[in-house]
Amino acid sequence: MPRWIPDERGDEDALLESLGIASTDALFTDVPKRARIGKLGIGAGLDEPQVVGEVDRLLERNRPLTKFSSFLGGRVVSRYSPAAVDSIVSRSEFYTAYTPYEAEASQGMLRTLFEFQSLWVEMTGLDVANASLYDGASAAGEALLFCRRLHEGSRFLVPASLPWEERSVLENYASGPGLHVEGIPYDDRTGQLDLEFVQSAVAKKDVFGVLADVPNGFGHVDEGVPELKSTLGEIPLVVAADPLSLSVLEAPGRYGADVVVGEGQGFGISPSFGGPLLGLFACRREHVRSAPGRIVGATVDTEGRRAFDLTLTTREQHIRRSRATSNICTNDSLMALAFVVYASVVGPRGLARLQTTLAEKARTLASGLGALEGLKAPRFDAPYLSDFTVELGRGTADEFLDRLLRRKVLGGHSLADPRPGATRPAERILVGVSESTTEKDIRKYVAAAQAAITAVGRSA
Amino acid sequence: MTFRQARWDEPAIWDLAPPRAADPPPQVSGIPEKMRRKEAVRWPELSELEVVRHYTRLSQMNFGIDTATYPLGSCTMKYNPKVSELLARRECATDVHPYQPESTVQGSLEILWRLERILARVTGLPEISLQPAAGAHGEYAAMLMVRAYFRDQGELAERTEVLLPDTAHGTNPASAAMAGFTTREIRSKDGCVDLEELRREVSKKTAAFMLTNPNTAGLFESEILEIAEAVHNAGALLYYDGANLNAILGITHPGRMGFDVAHLNLHKTFATPHGGGGPGAGVLAAGEKLGPYLPIPRVVKEGRRFRLDYDRPKSIGKIKTGYGNFGLDLRAFAFILSHGEEGLNHIARRSVLNSNYTAAHMGKFLPRPFGSLVKHEFVLSGTPLKAKGLRTLDLAKRLLDEGVHAPTIYFPSLVDEAVMVELPETESKRDLDAYIAAFERAISDTPENLRAAPRNLAVTRVDEVRAAREPLLCWKDLRGASAKAETP
Repeated sequence: MPRWIPDERGDEDALLESLGIASTDALFTDVPKRARIGKLGIGAGLDEPQVVGEVDRLLERNRPLTKFSSFLGGRVVSRYSPAAVDSIVSRSEFYTAYTPYEAEASQGMLRTLFEFQSLWVEMTGLDVANASLYDGASAAGEALLFCRRLHEGSRFLVPASLPWEERSVLENYASGPGLHVEGIPYDDRTGQLDLEFVQSAVAKKDVFGVLADVPNGFGHVDEGVPELKSTLGEIPLVVAADPLSLSVLEAPGRYGADVVVGEGQGFGISPSFGGPLLGLFACRREHVRSAPGRIVGATVDTEGRRAFDLTLTTREQHIRRSRATSNICTNDSLMALAFVVYASVVGPRGLARLQTTLAEKARTLASGLGALEGLKAPRFDAPYLSDFTVELGRGTADEFLDRLLRRKVLGGHSLADPRPGATRPAERILVGVSESTTEKDIRKYVAAAQAAITAVGRSA
Repeated sequence: MTFRQARWDEPAIWDLAPPRAADPPPQVSGIPEKMRRKEAVRWPELSELEVVRHYTRLSQMNFGIDTATYPLGSCTMKYNPKVSELLARRECATDVHPYQPESTVQGSLEILWRLERILARVTGLPEISLQPAAGAHGEYAAMLMVRAYFRDQGELAERTEVLLPDTAHGTNPASAAMAGFTTREIRSKDGCVDLEELRREVSKKTAAFMLTNPNTAGLFESEILEIAEAVHNAGALLYYDGANLNAILGITHPGRMGFDVAHLNLHKTFATPHGGGGPGAGVLAAGEKLGPYLPIPRVVKEGRRFRLDYDRPKSIGKIKTGYGNFGLDLRAFAFILSHGEEGLNHIARRSVLNSNYTAAHMGKFLPRPFGSLVKHEFVLSGTPLKAKGLRTLDLAKRLLDEGVHAPTIYFPSLVDEAVMVELPETESKRDLDAYIAAFERAISDTPENLRAAPRNLAVTRVDEVRAAREPLLCWKDLRGASAKAETP
């Protein structure tokens, strides 16, 4: 019997006796016989050392990033998190709490979320942030639906360079109300959005929103993004921004973004095979009643003391039901806590220093790879921060990465859509650096890439 | 019992060390001028100790399961075992990237695969996806699957409507609406679905009927097989909201009850922590009809190897980055391994035992609108409080002063002044008796004291009306408000 179900003092007999029943069978007479099941067939329970042994045995079949020179980048990153972050996130007053429905009992989490919202507002240059969404991709999905509440139309424009996963998520969020997601072509040399395409699409009057990502799916900073809003007029602009990049890049609110979403995982949250992540969402004040998700507000208690609660709840599913701005209930509060603790421990200057350091390392990697024949690095002639795209002259990305793996180099990830039948325009790989990347790692990558190109050349 | 929550006079983080006038941050070469940040992010520069002290103090002004009984109905606030926390923090669990080659993540893939196989048995539905980030996310994905299914059947133009009982969680109609369906509520009779009404309402226009069983009144829908038959006879699909699965583990399951698709909440039934509002982990379980529509990738086993399969032509695609909240999947896996077959069944039996015991005692203080036999949770009506000029809200706030959390209130909405209580299997008889005693003290207190509650927490009653009427939603708003106050 698992020790988490308390019976040390004969609880169950006492409870049964008090109810005047002999066994718990008497409590299930309302479940019809025909609906009953037999054994589940999942085996007997294990005691704690056995569970630890079994899970550890399985986990040891993973090889964590520290076993490699890793250049995996993209929206999910491997970034060092100061030990103080996990120490706070591990406080069970936070992690064993529910959504703060009873404000007076939950001031700690409410104040934390208010600080988190404030931080995302400061970073984005917008006015209001919500208390978190699931991840960057679903936050973009919510932003799509949000735009549709602000503006008529059926087409939502996104960069054709958007990672396929995010495009797929957006297409799902669009599908319910019968909306369409459409790719904005990019310049083959720079990867920059084709602003003329946007202009002519907007002229057809059916666009209800445009999303641009900073950095974009190729890792590059598109200097055309700040010009989008002047083309769009009343049509809302969504910027999907990497939070670390905002330590050195202009706040999107300053160049006309109406919504800024983002993936917050890099701030104090481990990659954990892709989850939990953290969805960020900010918008303009005049649109707050159309915003999705929980929002914490400041108010006072009966003694005039500063206090916080979940506010503007009439937007939400538990009140508005089918007319809610979103179905979201459980969000990512604990990850929001990690985000704000991380940013506070590292500090605004520390964040900017980290971003500049990563950019320097990425530059070193690019110049090493760029010197090789048989691949183009960076593929696009545009500025970048931590990530950039490599394009192979021959062979497939999978083959190339596999050869690198044999030398214990995780050389990035293929940008191709893995679904059978998906178009594969070119063999492109997104590579990224982290603070753990050393000069030696970079030399190792360049040497392994050289060897892989040579080997592919021989087999071709 | 006297209880006092910590009441730190803790400033906001920006008031600990107000940021100076913002200089431009250091620049990355190559970034064009118009993309450069002109002013550094306005946030305080603090020592690590200052940050740790700040958030430690805030944590002390927060209830969690580890500090207090937390009987929120439909939330299943059970103990979150520490061993799960320990395992989820192993380097081989945390420091693993979702885009690593499959050969380097065989452990993660096997854990996902094994958890899926277990959940297939628990739900009686063979096809599983762990991708949704939370329960509502799972509901939404399921409704997109329903949509894709009827599109393929050529019936989508006609089947535009999702039915649900008036006891449904708010997420159900919201998820169905987001997936493009109109929703309509079926009236309940004595707290359960009115089968006759359902038979009248379900039609060729119905895409799905969404139901949780036991329902939010804490009652088992005993006519579930007839409900399933009625829904299926109309060609519609039956959806299971797994929020209340705790009560039926090993007793029955969605598959046996006739459901076509289900979502589960690992953060309820399988004890992964709620994190103060998230992260959660939703699970999708589907039968034959909807299995092919589950999100990609699916985890498959080939020989002794595991891989991610993207070759599912009917799949709805992706609903989030990655494969689900792995950190939580791992915690749930450890929880299920610990319990095993008997343990899971014991969870259902004990949670229902706790619930009936507490209902019998708390029913002496407030009326119980529905029959006497309940499942994992029960509902009381706070209507009698009105005679004293009180509301359920006052009772809830007074309970907080006892050092315990309040039940869910004002839900389900078909009960006037509803009080919805769930005391999962990990609460001992001593905890239950203490809660009953606290409830009795609270309800027997004077109306003045109830209205003045809470007094023992970090703050007294919070002015929610003011919060909504004059929204102050971030630091910038507070700066604006204080600037306004200083202007004569």
